[in-house]
Amino acid sequence: MDPWQLRPARDLGMSQGERLASTAREPGLIEGIGQRAWALAMRCYLRICHRLAVHGRERLPTQLPFVLIGNHTSHLDALVLSSLVPWRLRRWLFPIAAGDVFFETPARSALSALLLNALPMRRKQAGRHALDELRARLLQDACGFVLFPEGTRSATGELQPFKAGLGMLVAGTGVPVVPCHLEGAFTAWPRHARLPRPGRIVVRVGTPLVFAAEPNTRLGWERIADVTADAVRRLGAVPPA
Amino acid sequence: MTDDPGERLFGWQHAFDHRATIWMVTGVVGALAGAALLIQVLAATGRLSAATRTELWRRLGSWCVMAPLFLGPVLLGAAWTIGAVTLLSLLCYREFARATGLFREREVSGLVVLGILAITFACIDHWYDLFMALTPLSVVMIAAIAVAADQPRGYIQRTALGVFAFMFFGTCLGHLGYFANDTGYRPVVLLILVTVELNDVFAYTCGRLFGRRKLAPATSPNKTWAGAIGAMILTTLLMLALGALVFEGTEINRIEHLVALGLIVSVGGQLGDLMLSAIKRDLGLKDFAATIPGHGGLLDRFDSLILVAPAVFHYIGYLKGIGLDDARRILTGG
Repeated sequence: MDPWQLRPARDLGMSQGERLASTAREPGLIEGIGQRAWALAMRCYLRICHRLAVHGRERLPTQLPFVLIGNHTSHLDALVLSSLVPWRLRRWLFPIAAGDVFFETPARSALSALLLNALPMRRKQAGRHALDELRARLLQDACGFVLFPEGTRSATGELQPFKAGLGMLVAGTGVPVVPCHLEGAFTAWPRHARLPRPGRIVVRVGTPLVFAAEPNTRLGWERIADVTADAVRRLGAVPPA
Repeated sequence: MTDDPGERLFGWQHAFDHRATIWMVTGVVGALAGAALLIQVLAATGRLSAATRTELWRRLGSWCVMAPLFLGPVLLGAAWTIGAVTLLSLLCYREFARATGLFREREVSGLVVLGILAITFACIDHWYDLFMALTPLSVVMIAAIAVAADQPRGYIQRTALGVFAFMFFGTCLGHLGYFANDTGYRPVVLLILVTVELNDVFAYTCGRLFGRRKLAPATSPNKTWAGAIGAMILTTLLMLALGALVFEGTEINRIEHLVALGLIVSVGGQLGDLMLSAIKRDLGLKDFAATIPGHGGLLDRFDSLILVAPAVFHYIGYLKGIGLDDARRILTGG
């Protein structure tokens, strides 16, 4: 007979402050309630204020793990991509957010954890170590990530080169990467604006890509960056529906 | 005895109606002050290493925060007492769920929390039938909701962990809250808290002074037979002294009942302690959390209460009844 599998929370023994800003955080009942309320509010907001239209939703995998990526022009992007994922998978869907913005103060950490279920990516030390932690989580816990391989919001709305980080997470694994293209988010809430304003947003979901054969080396990461950037660009080149 | 539920729930003016309450609160404050003085004296005479001294201050500091958190609600009124017990149950459950991984089973976990809140409602309402019915009903609900997920893999584990958690943190700790339905609950609840915590101290001290033979080395390597027996003797003596004050004029104030209560507190407390040690060993953890400096998690501190609360409740309930003269079902009527 197999022994029972008792897996303590990854964040066990951490103080509350540490836990909120940790990549090992596992959401509990209270976070679940907060995230559900936030997700509901966001769904209404996106539908009413941005008349959100989704093309190719059926291409989204129905099982975790997967990584959703897209072009990054606005703070709305992560909210939009998260809203595509059905509720039963949302609990283990973590938007990867800039540690120096979303986890800068304890209050921001609490909000990012409680409402967004975000995990921090410290951009200044975005080396192998930080990414290896996230890669291990992606594989061991079979969770989902929402991330933007450009690394930061585009100032012009144009697609910037993709960084190697995405490759470090998925090279040599069977985790599907789902390319998405967002249109209209830049006009609605560009980098320089303090608040969003209403405006239509269109998302196109592409065919999932798997990089099981790519080596987990710089060469592999660069190829993954090229292939995924190309996939996102091509989704954006489709004439508006 | 009054039968005005408002007075019982919120009547802080009655905090010191019973002289046993005055004695015990004074005792707790005195003991904390005495401990501080003792550490100071031992440190001044150079009989404590710096590390031990820091550790002792840390533990005492935690006690100075915890004592008012426990005495306060009990003195303020029954509503506060029941609320504090609910909070304790929920926080203990949280530690348990995160340590065992039960928190990932959102439906089962949610039901355990709802069950604890329902127990609170039964306590506040003073509805004994509901209080008793909630244990089997919650077990049924947990078993039912766990099957609804249509995932037979891990079903036994999911259900068993949920039932186990509800029994200990809902039902067992809930009894401590239900005591507050008796107008004269203050000295009884304080008596339980004081004897259970001192029982731990007695076991630790006797073990350090005389301990040789290990009690359960695989479960908890620091526990000794000397500690266990010493605590049984000292706790029973303490119960004889304090119990005589608390139960003055009732049928429990007889030597055989007070000895029995002392043994229940001492044996139950130590078994509760061992039970949680066994759970920690099974999980491969040292502490449940880092909530209380010097003590570990809340469960590491309040494990001894879990088995004692229902045992003492039903012993007293059988002999003299609890809350018999007080208005029942104050919210639901009937």
